[in-house]
Amino acid sequence: MAKETQKPFRQSMAEWRQFIYNPNSGEFLGRTAKSWGLILLFYLVFYGFLAALFTFTMWVMLQTLSNDIPKYRDRISSPGLMISPKPDTALEFYFNKSDSQSYAEYVTTLQNFLESYNDSKQSQNIDCARGKIFEQSEAAVKKACRFNLSDLGLCSGKEDPNFGYSKGTPCVLVKMNRIIGLKPEGEPQIQCTPKEEGMVSINYFPRDGAMDLMYFPYYGKSLHAHYLQPLVAVQLAIAPNATKEEITIECKIHGSPNLKNQDDRDKFLGRIAFKVMMSE
Amino acid sequence: MQDDHRLSTSELEMKYGTSIDKGLSSARAAEILARDGPNALTPPKATPEIVKFLKQMIGGFSILLWIGAGFSWISFGIQLAQGVDSAFDNLYLGVVLALVVILTGIFAYYQEAKSTNIMASFSKMIPQVRATVDNSSLTGESEPQSRSCDFTHENPLETRNIAFYSTTCVEGTATGIVINTGDRTIIGRIASLASGVGNEKTPIAIEIEHFVYLVAGVAISIGVLFFIISVSMRYKILDSIIFLIGIIVANVPEGLLATVTVSLSLTAKRMAKKNCLVKNLEAVETLGSTSIICSDKTGTLTQNRMTVAHLWFDNQIYSADTSEDQTTQPFDQSSPTWTALSKIVTLCNRAEFRPGQENLPIMKRVVVGDASETALLKFSEVILGDVMSIRAQNRKVAEIPFNSTNKFQLSIHETDDPQDKRFLLVMKGAPERILERCSTIMINGKEEPLDSEKAEAFQTAYMELGGMGERVLGFCHLYLPENEFPETFQFDTDSMNFPTSNLCFVGLLSMIDPPRSTVPDAVSKCRSAGIKVIMVTGDHPITAKAIAKSVGIISATSETVEDIAKRLNIPVEQVNRREATAAVVNGMELKDMSSEQLDEILRNHTEIVFARTSPQQKLIIVEGCQRQVRQAWQSVIYVPPALICATSQGSVVAVTGDGVNDSPALKKADIGIAMGIAGSDAAKNAADMVLLDDNFASIVTGVEEGRLIFDNLKKTIAYTLTKNIAELCPFLIYIIASIPMPIGTITILFIDLGTDIIPSVALAYEKAESDIMNRRPRNKRRDRLVNQQLAVYSYLQIGIMQSVGAFVTYFTVYAEQGFLPSTLLGVRVNWENNAINDFEDSYGQQWTHYQRMYLQWTGYTAFFVSITIQQVADLIIRKTRRNSIFRQGLFRNKVIWGTETPELELSCSQVFLSEIFAPTPRFQYWFVAVPFAILIWVYDEIRKLVWALGFPPSSPVVTWIKPQH
Repeated sequence: MAKETQKPFRQSMAEWRQFIYNPNSGEFLGRTAKSWGLILLFYLVFYGFLAALFTFTMWVMLQTLSNDIPKYRDRISSPGLMISPKPDTALEFYFNKSDSQSYAEYVTTLQNFLESYNDSKQSQNIDCARGKIFEQSEAAVKKACRFNLSDLGLCSGKEDPNFGYSKGTPCVLVKMNRIIGLKPEGEPQIQCTPKEEGMVSINYFPRDGAMDLMYFPYYGKSLHAHYLQPLVAVQLAIAPNATKEEITIECKIHGSPNLKNQDDRDKFLGRIAFKVMMSE
Repeated sequence: MQDDHRLSTSELEMKYGTSIDKGLSSARAAEILARDGPNALTPPKATPEIVKFLKQMIGGFSILLWIGAGFSWISFGIQLAQGVDSAFDNLYLGVVLALVVILTGIFAYYQEAKSTNIMASFSKMIPQVRATVDNSSLTGESEPQSRSCDFTHENPLETRNIAFYSTTCVEGTATGIVINTGDRTIIGRIASLASGVGNEKTPIAIEIEHFVYLVAGVAISIGVLFFIISVSMRYKILDSIIFLIGIIVANVPEGLLATVTVSLSLTAKRMAKKNCLVKNLEAVETLGSTSIICSDKTGTLTQNRMTVAHLWFDNQIYSADTSEDQTTQPFDQSSPTWTALSKIVTLCNRAEFRPGQENLPIMKRVVVGDASETALLKFSEVILGDVMSIRAQNRKVAEIPFNSTNKFQLSIHETDDPQDKRFLLVMKGAPERILERCSTIMINGKEEPLDSEKAEAFQTAYMELGGMGERVLGFCHLYLPENEFPETFQFDTDSMNFPTSNLCFVGLLSMIDPPRSTVPDAVSKCRSAGIKVIMVTGDHPITAKAIAKSVGIISATSETVEDIAKRLNIPVEQVNRREATAAVVNGMELKDMSSEQLDEILRNHTEIVFARTSPQQKLIIVEGCQRQVRQAWQSVIYVPPALICATSQGSVVAVTGDGVNDSPALKKADIGIAMGIAGSDAAKNAADMVLLDDNFASIVTGVEEGRLIFDNLKKTIAYTLTKNIAELCPFLIYIIASIPMPIGTITILFIDLGTDIIPSVALAYEKAESDIMNRRPRNKRRDRLVNQQLAVYSYLQIGIMQSVGAFVTYFTVYAEQGFLPSTLLGVRVNWENNAINDFEDSYGQQWTHYQRMYLQWTGYTAFFVSITIQQVADLIIRKTRRNSIFRQGLFRNKVIWGTETPELELSCSQVFLSEIFAPTPRFQYWFVAVPFAILIWVYDEIRKLVWALGFPPSSPVVTWIKPQH
C-alpha cells in the first residue's frame, strides 16, 4: 500500500471549508440546498407518518382500557404503608420541641393533609356500618364513608394545633395505600414498635390502631370521588431521658391475613419504619 | 561471503583456518560457536502473548466499555458513601461490563491464536554440499541444480560452488566448507529482510477500525451531548454519569466484534475445505477485495509436471490430451510410424514406476526419473499399457544415458519378435542433433530418404512446437543388420562399436507443463470480477506466454508490442505501445527499468506476463502493483478527502510464492499466498494464506468467499446497529421526558450478547445475493463496510421504527397497570424516590417504591421482547440488500431459520429464567410490536422496489434510502 501522505494542514482546512460550503456548486455539507430540502421533506414525511402511526396505535390501545379500573392489578396485590407528615429527605423527624420553627413544616403538612377530612368536606359522605366491608359494586354512584376527625383524638389538631410537637409527644399519621378492590380480612390494625426499649411510649387513635373495614373496598378515582382512606394516628410520647436520641419506630399492619407485612424486598409493604429525634 | 565463491579451496582453507579433510579442531569449533552462536535462524520477533492479549482487552469498543465500567464503580463509590440502597446495582453493572470486555477479549484472542497455530513448521536443514541440490526453497527454481567446485558466476546465488543453507541435496555426495552460519547465511538475510517489510493493516482491519470510530464517535457525541443536556436540566452529576453509561452501553454493539471474528473464522474454515488455509483471520476478507493477483506459473497455473502435448510424425502435428486425469489419448494411432515411434518412446527411457502402485491412476504414480522421461513413460503407459513388460520383452543390451555433450540418449534392444533376430537401436534427444544423425525419415511406416523438402517440413514443425513454448525431443531408430550384429555381438558403449549415424528419423514429441484444467475458467472468473491476473515466472518468455495464452491471462485477441511489430512488419520501436493490451516483460528488461517505467507498463497493459524474473524482482513487481490506483477512485465523492485520508490508496495485491526468496514479496503483498505442496517453510511463514493444493483456481474460490463475507458482514452490522437506536432512544426520552426508565443497561447487554449473537452470525451463512464475481473489486475508499447510507438507514429509519414499536409496548404495559401515558411524563424524580411509597397512578391507587420498580422491570422485559420481535423482521430484511426477499427465498438460508427459532427460544428462556431480576411480561406483550415488525418488512420491500424501479441514482431520496452498498 502506498505510504499515506500527510496533507499540509492548510490544504486539509481548505478541503473542510470546501466541504462545509462549496461556493462553486452551492453545496452545503456536500449537498445542494435542494437536496437538503428534499431530504428534510423525506424525513418530515417519514417521521410524521411514524408519529401518526404511534398516536393511532396508542389511541387504539387506550380504547381497550376502562376509565374506572385498570386492566390489571396484579402488581399491587397488597398495599404499602405511608406516613404523614413525610419529611423531605428520608423518613426522619428531627425537631426541637421548644423551637416552633423546627416543626412548623410538619404541622403545616398535617394540617393540609387533614384538610380533606374536615367535616365540611365530608358533607356528602355517609356514616357506614362499622366493622364490615362496605360492598357497593352494584351501585352506580359509589358512596364514601365518613371518617371523623375526632377519632384521631389528640392528634386531630383540634385540641392541639401543634399535634403534640411542642410537648414532646409528636403525632404521626399512618395510612394504607389505596388499592382498587382491596378487601382486608380479619381486623386490620396498625401496631408500632420502637426498636429501642424504654425511650418512647406509643398511643394510637383510634384505639388499638384499628382500621375499620367499612372503608373498603375502594372503587377508584372516577367512581369513588370523595373516598377518604382511613387513618391511624400514632402519638409518640418521648421519654425525657431519650431526647437527642435517635429512635427508630416500625409500624406494621396486623390482624389481617391478606395484608402482607413482611416482604423481604419491599420494605414498605404493610409496614413502615421511621426515625424520630427530638431535642429540647 | 561476497567473494568467497571466487576463492579456491586452498584459499578458503586459509581464510577460515580449517582443512577440507579434518575440519576445525574441536577447540576452534567451540570458539566459533561461542562467537557466532548456533547455526540457526533467529526466529522473527513475535509479539509477546500477553501484549496480544492486552491488545484485545483495550482494542475496539473495549476502551468505551472500560470507561463505562469505571463510571459505574465511581458512582457505586459515591452512592455507597451517600448510603443509597441501589448503590450495588452500579457495582454489578461495572462488573458485568468488565466481564463483557474480558470475555470477548479472551474469545477474540483465542480465535486469533487458533488460526495462527495452524501452521506447524517441519523444516529439515541439511548444511551439506554437492552434486545436485534442490534450490527451490531459496530461488524458486524447480529444476535441481548441479554443484561443482568451479566458480561459474559472479553472483553468489548463481554460482555452482556454493550450496545454501535450507536447500536440500537431491542426489550425490560432496564435502564443503561452511562459510557462514545462522543469520549470516543467504536465507538468514532474506528472513531478516522479510521481517523488515512491514505488515500492512488488512483492509478488513481498516474497515473495522473505521466502523469502531464511527460507532464510538456516535456513542461519545450522543453521550456527551446528553450529559450536557441532563446537567443543564438540573439532573445531579451522578445521575448524568449514570445516563452516560447507559448511552454508551446502548450504543456499543458489545457482541459485534466477537460476531465478526466468528464469521471470519467460519469463512476461514469453509475456505480451508476449499484448499485455502488462512493464517490470519482478517486475510479472509483481504482476498475478496483483491484487485491484482500476481501468480506464479509453475505448479500454480500449471500442473507442475511435464506432459506430452504434441507429436509430429508422418508430416503432421497431433495434439495429445494434457489434462490431469487422462486415461486414453484420442489422436490417430493407426499409422505404422506411430507404432515405431511408440516403441522408441517406450524403450529409450530409463524412468520407472516405483513398485506397488498398480492400483493408482497412471498420472498419480510416482516415477523415478527426470521430468521429461517421466512424461514419456506415463504417456506410453497410457497408450500402450504395461510399459515394463514391453521393456522386458525387448531386452536392453546396451545403453548410453543422456549427457549434455551428446544431447542424446541411446539404447539397443533385442526385438520382441522371436523370428526377428536383429537388434533395434533407439535414440532420442535434441531434435536438431537427432536429425543430423539421420539419413532417412519414416513416412507412413516406410523409410524415405531425408531430402531437403522433408528437412524443411521438420524445421517448420520444430519451430511451431518450440514456438508454443514446448520442450521438443526428436526420436529415431535403426534396425541393426543381422549379419553385422549377430545375436552374440558384444556392444561396447565406450568405443561405440555400432552405428550412430544414418539412422531413420521417426518423429518429434513435445512436452510442456500444461495448465491445470480449472485455471482457464478461474482466470476468466477473475476477469469478470475485475481482477487483473499477472503472471510472474522464472521461465522462458515463450513458454510463459504460451501458458498465459492457454489459460487466458493473455486473451486470444490481444497482442503484445512484439506481436504488433511482427504483424505490421515494423520495428518494435515504431509500435504505438498503447495499442498493445498485453505485455511480456523479461526479467532482464525489468532490471533496467525505473519504477515509473514499471508503473507505466502496469498501467497501460491489462494483460501482463513477467518472465525470467528472479524472486527478488517479485518484490519490485508487487510494490509496483500496489502503487496502481484504480481509475474508479478518482470519481468525485462528497465526503472530503480529509475525512477518509486514513485509508491508504492503491490496489490490493495478492501474490503467490513458494521459495524462501519470495518471502519479502509475500510479506509486502496485501495478501501473500504460499504454496502448500511446493512452498518452503519461510514462504509459508511469511504468507497470510496457504494454498493446500497449489491451485490458482482455489485463489478464485477464496476471492469469492472473501467478497461474500464482506457483503454478509455488512448485513450483520446493519442488523446489529439497528437495534442500537431502539436501545438508545429509551435513554434519551427518559432524560428529556422524565418517564420511568424503559429499558435497563443489563437488559441491553442481554440483547447484545444474548439473543442477537446467533442471528448475526447466521447472516454470515447467507448465500451470495447477486453474482458477486461479476462486479469490480471493492473500492477501498468508497465501498466501506459501514458507510453513511448504511448508518443512516439503520439508525434513522429502521432503528426509529423499532423504537416506536418498542415504546408502544412500553406504554401499553404501564397503561394496563394503571399508569396512562399522560401520567408518566415528568414523573421520574418522584418515581425513583424510594422515600415516596404512596405514588398515585391514574386510577387513584397508590404504589410503593418497590411496586413501581417491579412494574418498571416488567417494562424492561416488555421492551426487550419488542426489540427481539422486531429484530426478527430486521433479520429478514437484512438477508438481502437489493433483491426482494421473495426473490432470494425467505427460507433458503436454513441457518438463519435454524437460529431464529433458538433466538426466540433464547429470549423466551431469558425472560422466564430471569424472573429474579425482571418479571415475565404478559403473553400478549410479545405481539404488541408485531405490526411494527411487519411495517419494517413492508417498508424495506418498498425500498428494494424503489431500487429495482431505478430512480435516478442521484435523486436524494434514493441516495438516502437506497441499499447499503
